[in-house]
Amino acid sequence: MSVQHPAPIPAQAGIGLRAHHFREILDAPPPVAWMETHPENYFGDGGAPLRILERIRARYPLSFHGVGLSLGSTDPMDHAHIGKLNALIDRFEPAFVSEHLSWSSVGGRFFNDLLPLPYTAESLDHICARIDEAQNLLKRPLLIENITRYLTWQDSPISEGAFLSEMAGRTGCGILLDLNNVYVNAVNFHTDPLDMLMAIPAEAVWEIHLAGFDRFGRMLIDTHGQPVYPEVWGLYRWAVHHFGPRPTLIEWDTNLPPLSVLVEQATQADAILGACHVTTA
Amino acid sequence: MSRLREQQQAFAEAIVEGKSHAATAAMAADGLALRSVALYRRLIRNNYTQVLKITYPVLHRFTGDGYFGVLARGYLKRYPSTSGDLFFYGRHLPAWLQQLDAPLLLIELARLEWACHEVYQAADSSSLSPDQLQAMVSADPSRVRVQFHQTARFQSFPVPVHRVWLALQPGASSDDVVDLPLPEEETGVIVTRSDGKVQVTPLAWLDYRVAEVLSQGADVASVERMAVESDPAFDFTRVMTTLLSLHVIAGCSVEEDL
Repeated sequence: MSVQHPAPIPAQAGIGLRAHHFREILDAPPPVAWMETHPENYFGDGGAPLRILERIRARYPLSFHGVGLSLGSTDPMDHAHIGKLNALIDRFEPAFVSEHLSWSSVGGRFFNDLLPLPYTAESLDHICARIDEAQNLLKRPLLIENITRYLTWQDSPISEGAFLSEMAGRTGCGILLDLNNVYVNAVNFHTDPLDMLMAIPAEAVWEIHLAGFDRFGRMLIDTHGQPVYPEVWGLYRWAVHHFGPRPTLIEWDTNLPPLSVLVEQATQADAILGACHVTTA
Repeated sequence: MSRLREQQQAFAEAIVEGKSHAATAAMAADGLALRSVALYRRLIRNNYTQVLKITYPVLHRFTGDGYFGVLARGYLKRYPSTSGDLFFYGRHLPAWLQQLDAPLLLIELARLEWACHEVYQAADSSSLSPDQLQAMVSADPSRVRVQFHQTARFQSFPVPVHRVWLALQPGASSDDVVDLPLPEEETGVIVTRSDGKVQVTPLAWLDYRVAEVLSQGADVASVERMAVESDPAFDFTRVMTTLLSLHVIAGCSVEEDL
């Protein structure tokens, strides 16, 4: 793989950039260290979204968090999608480009959702080959996020932590560790979240996501529509001390609150990161 | 075929067609399989409905959650997504409404909103420069062709559907109340973008026809002739001034002598 390492994002808290907050951000730029956005929202040829993103990029380091590449799919790689992503990367120079350990299409049909892979040797070979392909086409290492899943495959002998760890080791990609997803999976499938986290080497974790969930019957659903839950803050404290301080994103996609709420959550994350910096200094 | 591909196809079938046997057989026998498929189906369906609501906000406001939700579910079955980029997901909705024999107003509203959706993210382009304007005015009109911005869309409708669109914009005034049913009245509008915002401007029918034919590449002289044949008092300069004020003219080409 011939890739260039991106300029780093500081190990501080950032927020997800959503159109709902554009006006507020432009009028009074919030005190956060960086912002992350879905590149697919800027795949258009022109118009306000791109101009606004330019203004925001001039002020903040940026990360692209893709949701449409369907990396785990057994369909051929979507080169048109890669082309649009590359054009945006050239234009906005994001520090990170991330995607998900998931698939969302088969036989040319897309579900535009993050569907789980079985954790098998075959899946591992497949996802590693696809990450290599994407990294070569994008000429940079990707970060790959662990997803929420609402089912387990019968034939899935590798643990999620070991799968992620091996994937990062083979491809050189980073892990975008979503602690809300770790927690939601642990509750839904009655496992210990620390088992998953302990299997991941610290150097593979390049970024952390924090978000909120909703309840649907007995299941927790990763809606990104609530504040970070106390249990997830608890996991975050553990993770920051175990892995070290990492760029941390407050993700909020549905039921969007005022920008000040996201900033307050980012401040809370910064306090935990700061405490760790003090401890390790 | 690889085992992984079989699993993905079985899962897809389970979500799309409810044929859950193959997929659930591959899932853990923890009693969650059927519920899991149903949950994914619901989440996916909700995502697509949300995308259509964003693409067709006025149609959604006009019809309400119930009708729109049924429409969105039917649309998903007929026109499943074929891309990781959801921008184009809703492009067949006007055709789908037509297939459903939906009321004319809904079909036309959907056509207008799709044009707005395209214009919102169309490529930026610069306006006609003073030099180009001078060249256009001083040249033989039979050699002049007008180029329009990519952000300009010309749309005609059998009813003045733009009145409903304008009345249902956020912040619309109470003066924008529209009496329904709309009169049968051929209407032309230009959909444009100004400062990032989409605008819908109705034109008098002959003005619209002039703008539309110009946008199709006809030379200025032949378009003016067509207009005057329809209305001997037609003022071509007035229409060109209107188009310039709407910032929809990107440039012009003047055919050189051979």
